[in-house]
Amino acid sequence: MRKIAQLFVLLALPLLTSAQTADNIVSKVLTKLNSVKDYKASATIKANIPMIKILPNEATIYFKQKDKFKVESKGITILPKQGFTDINNFLAKKDYIAVINDTVTTGGVKTYLISVIPNSGGGEMILAKLWIDPERSVIMKSQITTKSNGTVTTTYTYGDQVKYGLPSKMVFEIDIKKFKLPKSVAADINKSSAEKKKKAGNKGTITITLTDYAVNKGLSDSIFK
Amino acid sequence: MLLKNTWNEFIKILAKPRSYLGVGALTLLIAIIIFAMKADGKSIISFVTASFEQTLTFNGHILNGYLIAFIILQMLIVHVPLLVALVTGDLIAGEAAMGTIRMLATKPISRTNIVLSKFIAGAAYTLFIILWMGFLAIFVSTAIFGTGDVIVLNSDGLVILPEADVLWRFGAGFCVAFLSLLTVSSLSICLSAFAENSIGPIVATMSIIILFTIIGSLDVTVFDSIKPYLFTTHMASWRSFFEDPVPWSAIRESVIILVVHNVVLVTVAVIRFNKKDITS
Repeated sequence: MRKIAQLFVLLALPLLTSAQTADNIVSKVLTKLNSVKDYKASATIKANIPMIKILPNEATIYFKQKDKFKVESKGITILPKQGFTDINNFLAKKDYIAVINDTVTTGGVKTYLISVIPNSGGGEMILAKLWIDPERSVIMKSQITTKSNGTVTTTYTYGDQVKYGLPSKMVFEIDIKKFKLPKSVAADINKSSAEKKKKAGNKGTITITLTDYAVNKGLSDSIFK
Repeated sequence: MLLKNTWNEFIKILAKPRSYLGVGALTLLIAIIIFAMKADGKSIISFVTASFEQTLTFNGHILNGYLIAFIILQMLIVHVPLLVALVTGDLIAGEAAMGTIRMLATKPISRTNIVLSKFIAGAAYTLFIILWMGFLAIFVSTAIFGTGDVIVLNSDGLVILPEADVLWRFGAGFCVAFLSLLTVSSLSICLSAFAENSIGPIVATMSIIILFTIIGSLDVTVFDSIKPYLFTTHMASWRSFFEDPVPWSAIRESVIILVVHNVVLVTVAVIRFNKKDITS
């Protein structure tokens, strides 16, 4: 019996070590993200989504801890529902299990691929895969799978705000399989069914280039109302 | 003489209560839409964007005057042809029913010019309807809701047009919409030349529009060869100006077909009226 217990501990040791390391890596990322109390940035948003035609747009993005987020733009802008603050909020709760899956080179940077699984099933998030650069403690890529909104993959590029873990560019890859047009509104009598059935791709991308960061300048709560 | 008679015809239109019925109905309809949008516009918009909003968020001033104007303009397909036909279907047949057609024919003006003057007066009324609609749709809506980018939903998906790129599209759209309604006006005048009372041409005009629209919307291959030549297929061409890129060749084709329809219908009306027996 004692031998069996020893064997179990021996087998579980790498997993425990891996989990510990993954937690450390994720904690460092979280610490970096939490060093940002608020920020304001100019954004150029380009959406390349098969069923949506929109020109690139300029916007101003505001964020304040813990979860205040606002986009201000002159025209209409499209952003992914998941991606901006979800990871921060999810990791901040510390109610997850993190496991290192692999080491992967992403964007020329050696990263740890870490799977983060929530402990409780009540939340929207099912699984988050994070490609983390251990040197700079920043997320290079993330893949969030949610119950109702499918999977969103985000690739991050960093510039002069890397010390805060704030990206200079984000590319969101979103699943558009779920997009359905209301038939009564979209009825187009001039187009034949063959024309209507022209299939679009299943993936769309939204690229956000962020510049002119103003970090920890003390944003007022009134901005978010 | 043609211009003078056209002016007389226009005065006749203005003197008829039914001419104001159409304008009143249009005003009421637009007022109801604006009120509904003011009261519950966001939920109406979310009905359109709901499928997208599972994955995406739309930021910005979505419910704006230009979007409301676009929604109002969509009514053209269903309602305004009836309001136009109500007046123009009466132009010749109404004279026959009242017995004034003989007196009209005794004037020193050819029968061809009588029909042409009625056509021009009908066109002026149609233009007034369109301008009134444009005023209410664009100026009143933007005064209440402000301006902004326009989200247009078509069978291919969403097209989001920047605010600065919208006004010329409305202008061009209203021009093509005018041509569409002018075709309805010409059709009802043409049918009016065959009738002795105004109810017949009005009902016949609407019946033809409904019939052609149903044929156009049926996905049956046997109708595919005639669909491009039905004027109802091209009545919604104004909407093409809200696509990106604008399908200029399709719009050009629609304009040509609508113009040909107008020419043919007026010619038929002229021939018929010239041969019409007004003595019995």
